[in-house]
Amino acid sequence: MNLNYSGQETIAASHDKVWSFINDPASIASCMPDVLESTVIDPHTFDATVQVAVGPVRGKFKFHVKLDPQPGEKRLNMTIGGGGFGSVVDLTAGADISTEGDTTTLDWTGVASMRGPVATVGGRVLDAQAKRVITTTFANVKAKLTEAA
Amino acid sequence: MSTTAEPEPYSIGVAMKRKEDPRFIRGRGNYLDDHSLPGMLHLALVHSPYPHARIVKIDKTAALAVPGVVAVLTGEDLAAHNLAWIPTFHGYDKQMVLCVGKALYQYQEVAGVIATSRDAAHDGAELVDVQYEPLQPVIDPFVSLTDKTLVREDREAKTNHIYHWEVGKRDETDAALAKADVHINERIVFQRCHPAPLEPCGVIADMNPGTGRLTLILTSQAPHAHRTVVSLVTGIPEDKIRIISPDLGGGFGNKVPVYAGYVVAAAASVVLGVPVKWVETRTENLTCTGFARDYHMDVEIGATSDGKVTALKVKTVADHGAFDAAADPTKYPAGLFGIVTGSYDFPTAFTELDAYFTNKAPGGVAYRCSFRVTEASYAIERAMDILASRLKLDPSELRLKNFVRKDQFPYPSPLGFVYDSGDYHTTLKKALNKIGYAELRKEQAEKRARGELMGIGISTFTEAVGAGPSKHFDIMGIKMFDSAEIRVHPTGSAILRAGTKSQGQGHETTWAQIAAEELGLDPQNILVEEGDTDTAPYGLGTYASRSTPVAGAAIAMAARRIREKARIIAAHLLEAPVDDVEWSKHAFNVVGIPDKSITMQQAAFAAYTNPAPDSEPGLEATFYYDPPNLTFPYGAYVAVVDVDQETGFVKVRRFLAIDDCGTVINPMIVEGQIHGGLTEGFAIAFMQEIVYDENGNNLNTNFTDYLVPTSLESPSWETDSTCTPSPHHPIGAKGVGESPNVGSPAAFVNAVMDALSPLGIEHIDMPLTREKVWTAIQAARK
Repeated sequence: MNLNYSGQETIAASHDKVWSFINDPASIASCMPDVLESTVIDPHTFDATVQVAVGPVRGKFKFHVKLDPQPGEKRLNMTIGGGGFGSVVDLTAGADISTEGDTTTLDWTGVASMRGPVATVGGRVLDAQAKRVITTTFANVKAKLTEAA
Repeated sequence: MSTTAEPEPYSIGVAMKRKEDPRFIRGRGNYLDDHSLPGMLHLALVHSPYPHARIVKIDKTAALAVPGVVAVLTGEDLAAHNLAWIPTFHGYDKQMVLCVGKALYQYQEVAGVIATSRDAAHDGAELVDVQYEPLQPVIDPFVSLTDKTLVREDREAKTNHIYHWEVGKRDETDAALAKADVHINERIVFQRCHPAPLEPCGVIADMNPGTGRLTLILTSQAPHAHRTVVSLVTGIPEDKIRIISPDLGGGFGNKVPVYAGYVVAAAASVVLGVPVKWVETRTENLTCTGFARDYHMDVEIGATSDGKVTALKVKTVADHGAFDAAADPTKYPAGLFGIVTGSYDFPTAFTELDAYFTNKAPGGVAYRCSFRVTEASYAIERAMDILASRLKLDPSELRLKNFVRKDQFPYPSPLGFVYDSGDYHTTLKKALNKIGYAELRKEQAEKRARGELMGIGISTFTEAVGAGPSKHFDIMGIKMFDSAEIRVHPTGSAILRAGTKSQGQGHETTWAQIAAEELGLDPQNILVEEGDTDTAPYGLGTYASRSTPVAGAAIAMAARRIREKARIIAAHLLEAPVDDVEWSKHAFNVVGIPDKSITMQQAAFAAYTNPAPDSEPGLEATFYYDPPNLTFPYGAYVAVVDVDQETGFVKVRRFLAIDDCGTVINPMIVEGQIHGGLTEGFAIAFMQEIVYDENGNNLNTNFTDYLVPTSLESPSWETDSTCTPSPHHPIGAKGVGESPNVGSPAAFVNAVMDALSPLGIEHIDMPLTREKVWTAIQAARK
């Protein structure tokens, strides 16, 4: 099962501030909802343990997150792989960054691929759940950058 | 000595209440999961989330740290004991027990965790860390046939093609089709579905180090065949293996194959020397164990302009999943699909089939049908309706015009069967009269004039069941006979053991009735035992509607052997020559002297207390029955539906099933079988399908996604019968348990297509979900 997502966040912060924030594993980890534990492996990589409750599938998922900044293209690519209790989730996401005056816009897209029990419930509740995770993450990015400002 | 012989209270044809039901309705059934043995450990399995992936590494560390976990087994561990692969029941292929090298379908078993409790085993299973390298999966058989991605690297032939099978006259059929006035060609798909018995599969494996015997309490439809397979795979002599199949909560073909959990539990018990239990979850049942159908059939019929069929050609692509695990007879890789000419007198026919591997669960079991008969019946019954539509003939008229006539039996079909008996015209006419066909057509015309969608669907199927004659039928080389052993006790009660295994069919009652009829005993005092290989005679088990045609015949023949010996005893008691003694009205008497008789009870008592001179004491017999032919039960079904064009909801208003299964042993049990089979056919027609998405995810892993109808959804069934006994069966019986599941899907679909025909819709593949019907209506309106 493949699920596609996209959205846009406009943040009242400079390009450099946003770029630096989203390239920091610890900052990104702090924005993901339901994270129980996160460990930064290197400047572009972190592991996160996330509490998941999707229909009958409930428990902890472990994810390995890799950030792949493309400063020349003003783009951040990200891969998230992992899963739990017999399920696998692979997410490929990317955000294009543009700046106008004091505001920075993130145009983001994501494709999630799922296998195992979590895929079975996908059609009904996973879609909404995944959307919630992604939108909450970017909303938190915006909130934290705005607070900092 | 009695001077009169009262007829026994129960015999063949009597609707006797089921002997097994008092224990079931009191909660005293004894199913696999009711069993517990001292010191027993539990097995849970780890499954692959990927449909196609290399196993890079399996780390057991975290699982072994779970309190209660005793051991974690992988495919490599089994390989050390030569148990990594086992033969499939089809005999031409093998299947992995636990993944070795690659996972070939989603939910394939990767590892087994043994623990002191079921919960600990499942906790451990969640912590087995498996690293996979995902590979491109092959989900569609029409992609598989291109061989762009190879499913089975282990096989010598580097292709996904498993086999080609064909029967009939290709050139003659092609020529007849080319000459036909009318020629239809339709792709008809029988979707992948699953038997989904309410009780899933399981085992308790108990290797006793003291005796050296391995006992398997096993959810098995074929205990003797399973014992032989276990012996061949493990090298354990067959006398050191005992299979006990306890009460079974349904099987429908799902409990014929050998599954990974059985082998891992047995291997663990052998190594650990303690009993090991495995009971699968619902998800495991739906995702790992034998599926059914998945046939993609291109059906061509040629006919004259006045509706006489001239030729039939069917070309099928079969999706077998990752292993060729269909438990078909060796000479019949596509089962009895050759019955595809159905009830119709085709002058010529040809059918061919190609089977392919895909990254899906293996199976192809006979789900409440004789091997692949359901697919064949559905194809021909749908195609006949499409032909009727093109010819603008009433589907009943087309059928009556083309039926094999009563005087043509025994009828040699163009695809190689010899149908034993039938009277198709009488059965269909009875159905049409009983349902009020002419009035229904009138009502339909009135509704159509008002813009309402009402449909009437007919299915007049013929099955080939009762495999089978040893000259043609075997499973892994074992001929498909069956057996019965009857011992009459001194006081006139008896024990009857058979090589079959009831999963709800009521053998404890019907087997007793056959023996009671033949022996003049009270069936209440005939104990029927099945399922224990230590005590039952060797038989191939219960599936493919073979129990009554084969074991039922063995029971009658064993009883007749007993009767022959009892006649000698009766002659001794009557002080008459044996040749002067006859069996009449359930007792022996001297010919011409009916008022002086010996009952079977009296003969039995004498067999142990006053044997005839030169006669062996005791009164028992065994019979191994090798049927001379298959039997060919048939039926005429009519469904009446209303379709709501705004929602796509199909209301099955009426459903009439007229079955002809030859001699009926217990009409109440037959009616129950028909109700159950119709309900399963209804589910297949309207709601059931195992769907895989483009990534190979099984999307129907539980009963919220794979629907089982309850009494609330199921229509009310009307049943009746005609009786055309099988001329070659000792009591004329043909078998019936699977007929309603074989015959009904086409009746439902034909009815819906009939309702939708004013919109120009000719065919929709099952299941006819509301969404599918609604979408077709919307598309037709544009």
